[in-house]
Amino acid sequence: MACFVVKRDLPGVTPEMLQSAGMRAKTCCSEITNEGRAVRWIRSFYLPETAQTHCYFEAASRDTVEEANKRARIPFTHITEVVEMTPDSV
Amino acid sequence: MKDTELAASFAIAQAKKRGRTEVGTDELLLGCLQTISRFGVVQLESWTFDLEELGVDWLDHPEKSEVKVAYSQPAVDLFDRAARIATADGSSAIRVSHLLAAFAVENEGLMGDLKRSYGITNTSWRIAVARSWSARFGKDTSGSPQDGSETSNLVEYLTPEEAAEALSIHVQTLRTYVRSGKLPAVRLAGERAIRIRRTDLEAVMEPLVPET
Repeated sequence: MACFVVKRDLPGVTPEMLQSAGMRAKTCCSEITNEGRAVRWIRSFYLPETAQTHCYFEAASRDTVEEANKRARIPFTHITEVVEMTPDSV
Repeated sequence: MKDTELAASFAIAQAKKRGRTEVGTDELLLGCLQTISRFGVVQLESWTFDLEELGVDWLDHPEKSEVKVAYSQPAVDLFDRAARIATADGSSAIRVSHLLAAFAVENEGLMGDLKRSYGITNTSWRIAVARSWSARFGKDTSGSPQDGSETSNLVEYLTPEEAAEALSIHVQTLRTYVRSGKLPAVRLAGERAIRIRRTDLEAVMEPLVPET
């Protein structure tokens, strides 16, 4: 499974809208996983200064991540694969 | 899986079954009702909603389907409204009670039909949802006995009678669950009396639609 970051520009977004989007992302990932293509929303970071979010997903392909976000109706600007690094891994 | 996820999963399955490409508010309402139903029937205040009459085969296990369905914009708006209600309710998560309360302002589709058929108003619907959750989970109206952040105002331990009432089952049935280990319980030190943690009540709940 690869890790992907989904970048979004969300000017004017409220905490409640983020919560709503999170629930939709979670349920759409479950549905696509049930269909046979594993995808999991790992975590998101909201950047208040720029009103952007960086959302991390785990899936076999970028297309699956894109589909999960489209089904959840959450707008995004960019999806790209990332390589995870932690203090323990270096 | 939280009640909201169960409701959403059922809503998605309903949309697929109906051959839709989007999950609308009708499917979401059916998902919420299915989640709080017992034997396919929902009792809210004096209103009884039979899922079968609403076109839902509540015993049906949805077949695995790869039909792609997305949330519709009205469904997104409903989730957003439910999130605002959750915040106002002091809840850290969107629960089915918040989704149901969000339907109070809906006048179209299935909710509109129910309003007209049963004489439901915006206010009477919100009262019914709030009372239903108060009856199930004490003062908390979130429907989330598992969410620790919302349980500070709750009685932490219940008598068997109180727990049975919360689950709408006979107290003997509840004692059977406790004896079989299905429902965790504790005994008061040196006493015969047992108590059930409110947060353990969902241990006996299982989804009608099995998780795959």
